Amino acid sequence: QRIRSQNIVPCTVSQLLAAEQVDETFRIHDVEISQVTIMGIIRHAEKAPTNILYKVDDMTAAPMDVRQWVDTDEAGGENVVVPPGTYIKVAGHLRSFQNKKSLVAFKIMPLENMNEFTTHILEIVNAHMVLRKNLMSASRVPQSFSSTGVGGMGGYGGGSSLPVNGLTAHQSQVLNLIKNCPVPEGMSLQELKHQLQNMSMATIKQAVEFLSSEGHIYSTVDDDHYKSTDAE
Amino acid sequence: MGDVHEVPRPRIATAHLAQNIGKPVCFVGRVVKIHPTGKLFVLSDGEGKHTTVELSEPLDEEISGVLEVVGRVTNQATIMCMSYVQFREDKSPFDLELYNEALKIIHEFPEYFPCG
Repeated sequence: QRIRSQNIVPCTVSQLLAAEQVDETFRIHDVEISQVTIMGIIRHAEKAPTNILYKVDDMTAAPMDVRQWVDTDEAGGENVVVPPGTYIKVAGHLRSFQNKKSLVAFKIMPLENMNEFTTHILEIVNAHMVLRKNLMSASRVPQSFSSTGVGGMGGYGGGSSLPVNGLTAHQSQVLNLIKNCPVPEGMSLQELKHQLQNMSMATIKQAVEFLSSEGHIYSTVDDDHYKSTDAE
Repeated sequence: MGDVHEVPRPRIATAHLAQNIGKPVCFVGRVVKIHPTGKLFVLSDGEGKHTTVELSEPLDEEISGVLEVVGRVTNQATIMCMSYVQFREDKSPFDLELYNEALKIIHEFPEYFPCG
């Protein structure tokens, strides 16, 4: 399951540039983002018939392209270009075209009170910390796990196969085994199969692949050994 | 040298100058004094510590209040200014002490506020 932020996430330009694109979605630290806000100073503004292109600089990277589509029917109003040197707040969607990231803004507002900028900085740290923690806590599954060989009967056979905190029962069991493994190079697929006798190797591999892509585990000496990213 | 506006510029206070010698930075502070030549001025940060800002060309306007300076830290731990902007305070005064607290947070959590 994916952890998706439904809200509008305050970001730095550097975070947006580092966001990974998977198909149509973007992720920052494995959290899916779509609508974002940035705050920065306009370095450049260019007006075209259908849109205004700004270059917005928040000091964390090079200025980012921010495009605002204008309503060609409307006289004045939306078509006013905010001058360079103005600090603005932008709310928009992240886009990537030919490997270049940009924002399509649905709202651009000059800052009237620069203390909002200070707040924005703090909100960025808070938002990303909370999003990251929510993602990590999805791995702390409350269901009980017996280390004397699962067999699957008590552990998840009686329980539902619905995702708990974003993980299915299979995934949770694999993750818990990996987390509790004290060996430096982590847990091997063979050892997982040995401990999870009721789970086929294919199922284990699927779980490992999912957990790895979600950032709960990572491979160590080779693709057969994994450790948990959640340090105890 | 390149254009410092195209690279990451960490937000710093006076205390961080020494560890950023030679690097592009962003410094916010209140104008304390301006040298008669107009080629240097002193800003005070949120902790009241002073930083000297140098210009390659003399100022061509009056500056006052809170300035955000983009530039490079010199070997003498001053800032060679490439550009600056005055923070508007027409509606509300800028809380520089709070900004300084925010700097501490972003320095403590670079993973959530990456610069570069």
